[in-house]
Amino acid sequence: MSELVVDKISLSFGGLQVLNEVSLSVAEGELLALIGPNGAGKTTVFNCISGLYRPTGAVRFRGQDIIGKKPHDVAALGIARTFQHGEVFARLNVADNLMAARHLAIGSNPLSEMLGLPGARRQERAHRAQIARILDLCDLTGLADTPVTDLPYGTQKLVGFARALALGPSLLLLDEPSAGLTREEREDLAYYILKTKAELGIAMIWIEHDMQMVADLADRIHVLDYGRSLADGPPGAVLNDPEVIKAYLGTV
Amino acid sequence: MSDLSPMRVVTALIAIAALIALPFLASGATLDIANQILLATIGAIALMLLTGFAGQISLGHAGLLAAGAFTAGILAQEIAAPFWIGIPAAALTGALLGVIFGLPSLRLRGIYLAVSTLALHFLVVYVGGEYETRRGFSTGILIDPPVVFGFEFWDPVAWYPVLLFVAVIVWLLARNLLRSRTGRAWAAIHDTEPVAAALGINVARTKLWAFVISSAITAMAGALFAYYRGFVSIEAFSLFVTIQYVAMIIIGGMGSLLGAVLGAAFVTVLPHAIEAASALLPSSGGLAGSIFAMNYAAFGLIMIAFLVFEPGGLVGILRRIGGKRGTR
Repeated sequence: MSELVVDKISLSFGGLQVLNEVSLSVAEGELLALIGPNGAGKTTVFNCISGLYRPTGAVRFRGQDIIGKKPHDVAALGIARTFQHGEVFARLNVADNLMAARHLAIGSNPLSEMLGLPGARRQERAHRAQIARILDLCDLTGLADTPVTDLPYGTQKLVGFARALALGPSLLLLDEPSAGLTREEREDLAYYILKTKAELGIAMIWIEHDMQMVADLADRIHVLDYGRSLADGPPGAVLNDPEVIKAYLGTV
Repeated sequence: MSDLSPMRVVTALIAIAALIALPFLASGATLDIANQILLATIGAIALMLLTGFAGQISLGHAGLLAAGAFTAGILAQEIAAPFWIGIPAAALTGALLGVIFGLPSLRLRGIYLAVSTLALHFLVVYVGGEYETRRGFSTGILIDPPVVFGFEFWDPVAWYPVLLFVAVIVWLLARNLLRSRTGRAWAAIHDTEPVAAALGINVARTKLWAFVISSAITAMAGALFAYYRGFVSIEAFSLFVTIQYVAMIIIGGMGSLLGAVLGAAFVTVLPHAIEAASALLPSSGGLAGSIFAMNYAAFGLIMIAFLVFEPGGLVGILRRIGGKRGTR
């Protein structure tokens, strides 16, 4: 069954139509690549899902329409995302970036935290243990106490990925995780994505420009062009689709 | 943050020894300044939480101090409430005002938020002034010194350990908070609100908590100030007081509790230092009348100098001396 169904969403900014009846879906444990030329509306689809924009149509997560929900309420349902430029919290170290994403799961209140009550301390310890697993999954354990601003760009983006995982999502939205990464970092990223899929079995939608990575990793590809859904299917079929080649890939 | 290098341990031990020895060595006047620093420290930590950590600008700090002082003063005057009612009542008043001061932050930011908190400052000051005139206390409200087990707290020597204790407790509460869920959420919304929201942080609630906690501590500091002085007057809470507190957190170093303490000490001592310096000048007679003007001018110059040359504040300078990484 599909975790998320995006059902004919449309969105305009003034006279500019950025999404035109886009429909897609992703199932549990599935890695769906979302590709298309710049300005096709890929990130806009993410912003519609995560509650930053309010399109017409429907976005159903496990059957429930989530359009109009506030971003933190969408996150509370178990939908996490990364951002194109990492957007890690510069004032926090690596471990605390992940802990910030445990916000919903940690049940302490400011008063018990101020007083350092046993309940608050116990929660803190329990959730530190939780994020230790994710740090380990992404090979970030050694950098846990490092301020994120001390890290190279590629590592910061990896922290953004780990931070999204720390939320404990059942749907993960990855916004160009490989952009700006070196070849080596891309190989690592591919490994972490596959590992996440294997170990956590969550649904992922992945915006990507690296067609080699997409062809290697994706279970299915959805192509956007000028805010419309152009194609959807397994990598072999979609990447050889003449329409897709004309709109996006050019002559390969 | 928690690294215990020998250098840090030694510095901390010297500081603790000095704090304990002070009342035995210092004169009454010096101890009064120390007490003022401690009161300012509590208020500066409160503002640091709000602005330096949660990233919310407020120009309502003097108004909140006034609200706390007046809560204590009015309760003492009207129902002869002792300090152990006056201080919690002031904190509660502060918390409630914090919600009101914080509401504009849900819509406004930066300079617009600053102006809206400024409006609330004038509202509090107006209400305080009205109370003074209506009840015939046009020069201010007198408060009896607090009495604990028959012991009256009226001189700086008696107050010093009390204020030191409260300042240390407020520091510890703030540190605990910053190291847990709420403190991380403040850092997150300070960096970028949409990203924080997408990761499940309720931005509005997080901001309101910052205003509530900061305002409660500030109002408590205002009440302590009222008991310490034994007197409350709205004159004491001008806009210049707000500017002084903003200066404390800038000069001390944004986003650092130690910065709040250092800034509080610096800004409290500055006018006394200027006074002492001007007394040394040969033509001190002519300058005596312009000490206030000099104080304001020196204040402005130092603030600009810090903003331009040392945005990390005193803490930034310390870190550089200590050979630590820069503040950014």
